Amino acid sequence: MNNYNFDWALVWGSLPDLMGGLATTIQLAILTIVLAMILAIPLALARMAKIEIVRWAAQGYIEIFRCTPMLVQLFWIFYALPALTGITIPGFWSALIALTANLTAFMAEAYRSGFQSVPVEQVEAGQMLRLSRMQQLRYIIVPQALRQQTPVILSLNISMFKDTALVSTIAVADLMFRSNVIATQSYKALEVFTTAAVIYFVIAFPVSLITSHIERRSLQPPKPKPFKRADASPANPIVPEGVR
Amino acid sequence: MTATAGQQSTVNICEAQAAGQHHLVSARGLRKTFHENKVLDNVDFDVDSGEVVTIIGRSGSGKSTLLRVIAGLTEPEDGDVCLDGRLVRSKGQRTDEWNAGASLVGMVFQSYTLWPHMNVYDNLTLAPRKVLHMSKSEASDRAAIALKEVGMEEFIKANVSQLSGGQRQRVAIARALMMRPRLILCDEITSALDPPVAAEVLGVLTRLKHEEGLAICLVTHDMAFAAKAADRVVFFSEGVIKVNASPHEAFEECGNAELKSFVDAVRFG
Repeated sequence: MNNYNFDWALVWGSLPDLMGGLATTIQLAILTIVLAMILAIPLALARMAKIEIVRWAAQGYIEIFRCTPMLVQLFWIFYALPALTGITIPGFWSALIALTANLTAFMAEAYRSGFQSVPVEQVEAGQMLRLSRMQQLRYIIVPQALRQQTPVILSLNISMFKDTALVSTIAVADLMFRSNVIATQSYKALEVFTTAAVIYFVIAFPVSLITSHIERRSLQPPKPKPFKRADASPANPIVPEGVR
Repeated sequence: MTATAGQQSTVNICEAQAAGQHHLVSARGLRKTFHENKVLDNVDFDVDSGEVVTIIGRSGSGKSTLLRVIAGLTEPEDGDVCLDGRLVRSKGQRTDEWNAGASLVGMVFQSYTLWPHMNVYDNLTLAPRKVLHMSKSEASDRAAIALKEVGMEEFIKANVSQLSGGQRQRVAIARALMMRPRLILCDEITSALDPPVAAEVLGVLTRLKHEEGLAICLVTHDMAFAAKAADRVVFFSEGVIKVNASPHEAFEECGNAELKSFVDAVRFG
């Protein structure tokens, strides 16, 4: 260690290449998170369905993705699926499918927990006001479930951002892949992988701080806000601003 | 006066209504079982327009289930329900008339069911805007009127967390009023409130009956309200209506030992 000659100039010179990899990483992470957050809603609903076969199918999907390593899922979609279907899926799209399928399973469980935390009477109140099932979901259940599960959802998203590094194993040119190439070519693994770690940290750490903040806030009782009663005089109609 | 359960035909209750016996709600032969426990055992039940009916009885006797069946939140195994002349449920199944009939019914629950992520205004206007397709200004005007009816007009901008229990129940009543129901079902809405606050909420219901002509069906343990403000008292026991009479008849003249023992238990603990 004492004889090691750091070569940070190499890192500086490789930064454009690393940033290109980071762009792929971020693109993959954002697409995965957005798709999973949408797809997890029907999966969570299927997991709570009254029809047993729908519930079992959803549970089966979730358990398969929760109980197998993500690397195996990635390899299965990249190498095994083409053997089964005869269709070769490019690395980026294979990675996107595998990561989305995996995150959707975990996200669906977070959603389900959130959905079930909304008191049934609140949903019944919506029913009595003749809101449709979709309206109950959109206006009553999902906003409350998302609010309650925000720390869990953010944690899952941080994990997913880090797990995108696995896609380097199927030759997707993400940050990890480019770091590996540079380190292999330059024999400067210490500098290159330290830089890669710092880049991952710089992005994930603020999100982690936000998650902790939301968690702390959700544990505290809500502070009563000062509330000014509406004046019912004709000059000041008792209707919130902007609704007329 | 007593024991009306299961004695009438369930063929077509709307025909009977057409013949002149018009009730806002008519239920015949309602049956519901939970885990082999009969909570509604061939129950017949009527409510007239503008009538206040209090339903009393021990926990698990079937009173809340009756309200939930009328509201459509619980599916009975059998029975007919007619709402304002429309047969909305036949032999336990909803008919094509269900949606039209159900629009006449509003419900207020025991636990506070205001949506906590919305303020009072949004709680009141969501359904009118999304279901009745009202404009913002129309919904706002109606919200102001509904809140005034329950004495909560000053709280339209308040968040739900800023309201006390009694205030929440009054807003919940206002929310039900937004859909212009002709019948409000109240399931133990005062059980979590202090007696003075409960009296305030029950006072709102009484005023709505007199001013709006609303029919109110109230499951309660408040014997004072049942005695003073109700037009009719229905006593449930083991899924059967044992007493169905005016408050005076039920509390003063009726010889039903079960009702007497229940009233004593509620009054004196």
